[in-house]
Amino acid sequence: MSDKKAIIKSENFCFYYGSKIGVKNISMEIYPKSVTAIIGPSGCGKSTFLRSINRINDLIANIKTKGVLLVKGHNVYDKNTNLVNLRQQVGMVFQKPNPFPKSIFDNVAYGPRLQGVKKRSYLQQIVEEKLKAAALWGEVKDELNKSALALSGGQQQRLCIARALATNPDILLMDEPCSALDPIATGKIEDLIDKLQTDYTIVIVTHNMQQAARVSERTAFFCLGELIEYDSTVKIFRNPAKKQTEDYVTGRFG
Amino acid sequence: MRFFIRHITDKIFTILTVLSVIMLVAILAVILVPMLRKGLSAIVFNGTIEFRKMQLDLFSRGDIDELKNEDIRSRLYRNKIYETIESFKQNIDSETLSDKAGVIYRNFGKELQRKNIKGAEYQKLRSLSRELRDKLQAVFKSSDKKFIQENISDVLKFKNDIAFKDTSIDGLFVLAEDFASDIEHIDLSRRQQYAASLKELENIITKLLGPNPSLPVPALKMDRYGATRRDIAEKLLNRLLWLEQWQQDSPGKPMKRVITPRAELFAGTEIEPLFNYIRENLDEILVFKPAFYWQYFIDDSTPGHYFGGVWPEILGTVFLTLAAMIFVFPIGIISAAYLAQCQSDNLIIKIIRMAINTLAGVPSIVFGLFGLAFFVLYLMPLFGGPSKPCILTAALTLAVLTLPVMIRASEEAIRSVPQSYVEASLGLGAGKLTTFISVILPAAMPGILTGIILSVSRVAGETAPILFTGAIAFGPTPKSIFDPTRTLSYGSYDIAIGDKLAALVPHNQYGMVATLIMLVFCLNIAAIIMRAKISRKLKGH
Amino acid sequence: MKNNNAQINKEPKTSSRSLALTALEDFNGFAIYHSGRFVLFAVSFNTVLIVLLIFYFVIQQGLPFFKNFDTIEFFTSKQWYPEADNPKFGALSIIFGSLYVTISALLLAVPAAILAAVFLSEIVSHKIRNYVKPVIELLAAIPSVAYGFFAVLVLAPFLQTHFGLSTGTNALNASLILSIMALPTIISVAEDSITAIGRDLREASYGLGATRFETIFKVVIPAAHSGIIAAIVLGMMRAIGETMVVWMASGNANQIPSPWWDLTQSVRTMTATIAGDMGETSKGSPHYQSLFAIGIVLLAMTFLLNIISEYFLASAGKNSRKK
Repeated sequence: MSDKKAIIKSENFCFYYGSKIGVKNISMEIYPKSVTAIIGPSGCGKSTFLRSINRINDLIANIKTKGVLLVKGHNVYDKNTNLVNLRQQVGMVFQKPNPFPKSIFDNVAYGPRLQGVKKRSYLQQIVEEKLKAAALWGEVKDELNKSALALSGGQQQRLCIARALATNPDILLMDEPCSALDPIATGKIEDLIDKLQTDYTIVIVTHNMQQAARVSERTAFFCLGELIEYDSTVKIFRNPAKKQTEDYVTGRFG
Repeated sequence: MRFFIRHITDKIFTILTVLSVIMLVAILAVILVPMLRKGLSAIVFNGTIEFRKMQLDLFSRGDIDELKNEDIRSRLYRNKIYETIESFKQNIDSETLSDKAGVIYRNFGKELQRKNIKGAEYQKLRSLSRELRDKLQAVFKSSDKKFIQENISDVLKFKNDIAFKDTSIDGLFVLAEDFASDIEHIDLSRRQQYAASLKELENIITKLLGPNPSLPVPALKMDRYGATRRDIAEKLLNRLLWLEQWQQDSPGKPMKRVITPRAELFAGTEIEPLFNYIRENLDEILVFKPAFYWQYFIDDSTPGHYFGGVWPEILGTVFLTLAAMIFVFPIGIISAAYLAQCQSDNLIIKIIRMAINTLAGVPSIVFGLFGLAFFVLYLMPLFGGPSKPCILTAALTLAVLTLPVMIRASEEAIRSVPQSYVEASLGLGAGKLTTFISVILPAAMPGILTGIILSVSRVAGETAPILFTGAIAFGPTPKSIFDPTRTLSYGSYDIAIGDKLAALVPHNQYGMVATLIMLVFCLNIAAIIMRAKISRKLKGH
Repeated sequence: MKNNNAQINKEPKTSSRSLALTALEDFNGFAIYHSGRFVLFAVSFNTVLIVLLIFYFVIQQGLPFFKNFDTIEFFTSKQWYPEADNPKFGALSIIFGSLYVTISALLLAVPAAILAAVFLSEIVSHKIRNYVKPVIELLAAIPSVAYGFFAVLVLAPFLQTHFGLSTGTNALNASLILSIMALPTIISVAEDSITAIGRDLREASYGLGATRFETIFKVVIPAAHSGIIAAIVLGMMRAIGETMVVWMASGNANQIPSPWWDLTQSVRTMTATIAGDMGETSKGSPHYQSLFAIGIVLLAMTFLLNIISEYFLASAGKNSRKK
């Protein structure tokens, strides 16, 4: 694995909410075209770290960072970061499905339109392609003009994935994408993640350890804002190096 | 025992709270029902032929041929009234009678000349006829019955005189005979009273039936038509049938209202049966027909809102409201966006919020003072405009007044847009402005629209701020925004208090205020329904 | 806003684009961000500007009056003869009239409003509440001139014929209508503050065996007192600043009723004096300035009430947040 060049690389990355620490001294490398899971108890900073990668945490007032967080070799917390390009290359899927209150078509076309695509036929092509990639096309192809809010939770989440894919990102961040879904919808999303990793780098935060074990190649374990252990998923779940990790994955942790 | 008292207090308290809410509903009903019911009668009522004549003349509306037929039929009944009054008037009016006798005497003279009767014969007939004339004139002036009867019989002695046969002097004998038969039941000493009562009676009849067609058309439009609707006709009929007097039994005591039949004033005369005649034939005289006067909303009115509708007022209100909204909408939305997007309350935000609260608390009349001092007297001259109240200044004043409503409603709407939408949009690489325009604003739009509707309803109903800044009670339709305008709100004030004429047409008074209330209510109900839909939608997911 | 979306590319291949801003992009972003913020701020600050303008212009027009005439007489004399050869500007009975109808209106409105607020927040189900709320909203929506119309043409004749009064337009009429107009304001603010009191407090009281009446009066209302006071102050603001109703319904007689509790006499208020007299004055005359002087008094009163209500609303907000 280490022969691959890392696409995301953090070195002693720290993140503060005002004076409160979000994460501290995170150093890890995430490799392209693979699934990396981040697990840990709630409040451990795993979401904070994920949301730092595309700087969606900027919405919160009074934040501070230290250290370096490189995406494709560029420090995202550099002053001269082009946030548009960053966020288009680092797509994100959120905890709760959050489609816009627009039609299914407009939801997927939102990103391409931002990039200046106006031609209807071309947009249609993108929408179809991305909905197919998100395994939703078959279910919605006849009702693209229906409100996205009319879809079921699982469908909404897949729509959000299609929407994120529509900007052609290299990296897809997923923040507990299945926490609001039932087991069948979760299964579909997991299948989708499996399929997507051939084309995308996926970083998924989850508190469901089975899920991490099922979908990911490498797993990072966070606790109290620190990275405890980061290794191949098999190793983390079968033979963790640290006692803390073992306690957590075997369920002995609080 | 103690428990019992506690229990009872609790029950009484609960009942009291229920009563308070029932009272609220009752108040709403007590206020609205009479105003809306009477307001409705401006549109739906039982119209008379006079109403249809007015509509045809002033607004060129209605079926001319049908109206003509109706008019001919009603004239049949009306003529009897006019004839009776005319003949009674002659009998009690000694001057007219004397004049008539004089005319007959002069005609007789001319007749003699035409017949070429000259010399002594002429002198004799001439002096005899003069004698007859003088006797009759004395009779007409007198109120002594005995003297009258003697003199009349003296005059009538000459009736069969050959010399007067088939001459105009015959007229004198007809006059004398008529008068003799009339004084049988006229109390001559009450001639003056009759004249006064008759004048009043004629007045009421003119109001009921319109002016006598034999007289010239009155200058004022309001005098040209009689009672236009059943309620007014019945009110006038009541005044016609009953005489209301305020009497004092003895000095120092309060006045008492005494009602007597007006017919008693004319007891025994030919007028007396007229009262019953009018009452029984009112339907034929006025030709009642149900009217649905929806044009009330699109008609101009005659002075004092005597006839016509409220179109200029509606137009003025809509113009003012639209103009105010053009000013307040962009400022309101932008301010709301600014306030909603700032996460922390720094000093500037605190100052702006305090300003909004202060603005919301300023009394509406002070907005009027401000509008007068700033917009009318300062700003208009500053830009070279005329320093007079007009639509522009009124709209600006109203915009200032409604700004807090707009900002608060919009801010709340923007804040209620889920943060996840913002995150999703930013996560796709959209800028803040793009996010605001393409995601936040559409999602907040129903809420903002609710705010706009509430502002509009507030602006449409406000009166005090536009008293000195652009509202007038009566005047031409404005040609530009630099003219003052009539509005429903100021019109409602004026029609209730300022305008004495309007008190004669209560249906138009209530019609105006009911139009205003309905306008404001429709807007408010739209806002309430919209908000219910939004909250249902928010609950839905 | 720290970016621009101007890069139009047929092929939305984003992965090749640099994550660093070019110098031009950086400058554009900076300029757009700051100019945008400035525009937002400038527009929003208009509200502050307007408030300052209101104070400035009303005071500027009214201040000469206090310079040229006796301020003490203005507040203590009952003689108001503004158009006489030797004009007298004693506004005591006018100021008294405003307070008189406002306070009588509140005495009528507050008990009913608090009972209704308790009913809506404590007693009734959510469903019935949804039916009662529009009633209150409609009461608030009726334009003041329509209330005035009702007062003059419906209530005044009723009072005159059924209670044998010499005139139907009097302090009683104005107070009745003002109390109806103040009701929606008081009810909605009081209801909000009562609802904001946490369930735990109520449950504690019920748990100790208190009845509903005792819970509401001994626990809920004391806990919500800040909000209720704010509600009353806001209702008072609404009543004291109301123009059309008092102008039309109060009778406009420049007098202090004697005996003072006789509500059936006519009075005149500050707002009605401004509304009624302004048409007869010429700009800059003492009479004109005196009306602006009344405006200053009115503005000062409502500003003070506003600050009081904000203080109580803020402390109500703090109380409910603590829970």
